[in-house]
Amino acid sequence: MRGITLIFRREVGQYFASPIAYLIAFAFLLMTALVFNNDLTVSIGVKPADPAVIPTFLSFGMVFFAPLLTMRMLAEETREGTLELLLTAPVREGDIVIGKFFSAWFFYSLLLFITLIYQMILLSIPSTSLDLGHMFAAYIGIWLYGGATIAVGLMFSSTTENQIIAAFLSMSTLLIMWLGDLAGDIVSTVELANFIRKLTLQGHFASSFAFGLVRVEDAAFFAGIITVMLFVTIRIVESHRWRG
Amino acid sequence: MIKVSNLSKRYGTFLALDRISFSVKKGEILGLLGPNGAGKTTTMRILTGFMPPTDGSVSIADFDIQKDSMSAREQVGYMPERVPIYPDMTVIGYVTFWAKMRGMNKPKARVEAVLERVQLIDRRNSLVRNLSKGMRQRLGLAQALVHDPQVVILDEPTIGIDPQQVIEVRDSVRELANDHTVIFSTHILSEAEQVCDRVVILNHGQIVAEGEPEKLRRRLQKGTQSIYVEIANKPKHIKNVLQSIPGVQSVTEHGLGYNLRAKDNTDIRLNIAKHLGNAGHTVLELRPLAMTLEDIFLDVVGQDDQ
Repeated sequence: MRGITLIFRREVGQYFASPIAYLIAFAFLLMTALVFNNDLTVSIGVKPADPAVIPTFLSFGMVFFAPLLTMRMLAEETREGTLELLLTAPVREGDIVIGKFFSAWFFYSLLLFITLIYQMILLSIPSTSLDLGHMFAAYIGIWLYGGATIAVGLMFSSTTENQIIAAFLSMSTLLIMWLGDLAGDIVSTVELANFIRKLTLQGHFASSFAFGLVRVEDAAFFAGIITVMLFVTIRIVESHRWRG
Repeated sequence: MIKVSNLSKRYGTFLALDRISFSVKKGEILGLLGPNGAGKTTTMRILTGFMPPTDGSVSIADFDIQKDSMSAREQVGYMPERVPIYPDMTVIGYVTFWAKMRGMNKPKARVEAVLERVQLIDRRNSLVRNLSKGMRQRLGLAQALVHDPQVVILDEPTIGIDPQQVIEVRDSVRELANDHTVIFSTHILSEAEQVCDRVVILNHGQIVAEGEPEKLRRRLQKGTQSIYVEIANKPKHIKNVLQSIPGVQSVTEHGLGYNLRAKDNTDIRLNIAKHLGNAGHTVLELRPLAMTLEDIFLDVVGQDDQ
């Protein structure tokens, strides 16, 4: 636990000391602001505002944001040689990986939390009639969804010492996991389409959390991805010991 | 303090270490020498707990590095060949982070003491990215020492830094022996002689020689001594003159002067000075040539091959 806390604190400190993290945060908040503004302009006085507009946008946005948040995490440790030093410290590989995962998830959660300002704006406009339950369900969903995409990004960061390659590999994988939902739409066999959708990120968000439904199976899917990805990442980090 | 028994390491089909055994006493500085690829770094990485051996055992302060890895790792401070840094951290933040990672709870006073010791206290609030290479070496030393480990392992700490900094690092390592047991890798024999109490020479993953540096040098040099001489104006037939000096076995041209090898263990410098003086030549430089590890290896490996 001590190792997790120390790594977590160092990584969070790193985010706040890094200009790249600020740029990512700026882009994240700018895009969500534009999406919110657009939705508000279209909805106001016409229909109730969509409380899941930001989470729905982020279900696509995280395909790009998650790799940017995680690409540095283990790739840089490998390139700089600090991973070798970490692996000689009296901490377990799992502590290193979990500490890093939680720091990225924390940073993402912080950005997500800031977007609640938009919901407060909606609350302050009487005609928008915000459905709070719907909103919280969507936020819980995208929070878990983000955790899963971050775990995928962290896994790819452990496979290479090149941050760009790590980002490219995780973006490609996340895009496939996202596009898989569309593949489900064009398959004529219903059973196969359902099966494909059950394997995709969107399939566990767009038809449940985005509509205000919190389903255990969807939460378990994201938790499962996080668990499997962290397990694989720990094994990859461990492999540095026998690869030398 | 450190006991290595029949240690082997295999990468696929490549045998990096082949049943090496040695031990290091408390407060001793052991030099681990060898050319590139000899197995020095592999040995050190096993000692630090970074990688497991294929066979054999290592104990550090009576903790088995495999069976009780966490306790063994707590006893070790390690500075890899290329000092790993977090460029965006401050000097004090970096050392504090490693102190905590190595198990210290309130390391503030200790961190400041170590920074004082490696003369980085004035730079405590500087970003690591802004340090010179020599300062980074000292920072690496600070992170290795901060938790006051019983064993300090330094992988080629003087590589790539300027001569003044080399002297500083050597002095720092020498001082460490008062409180720590040190393993120090280098490929420069003269450096090992200055710093280490004892050396282990590795080649192709095996120990080819072991002992006190001076004794080892004498034994491995097999009574041969090399002298470099530079004579003013470099006269035409000077090579013949040098060859005729009593005690000289061979003469080879080297740069602006000549390398002379003595026939036995006698000091031929006096003969050279007298002979050249009597012949009317002005000696600009006359110095014994430090035999490099590579020179010695040519002998040792040559013998192995035969």
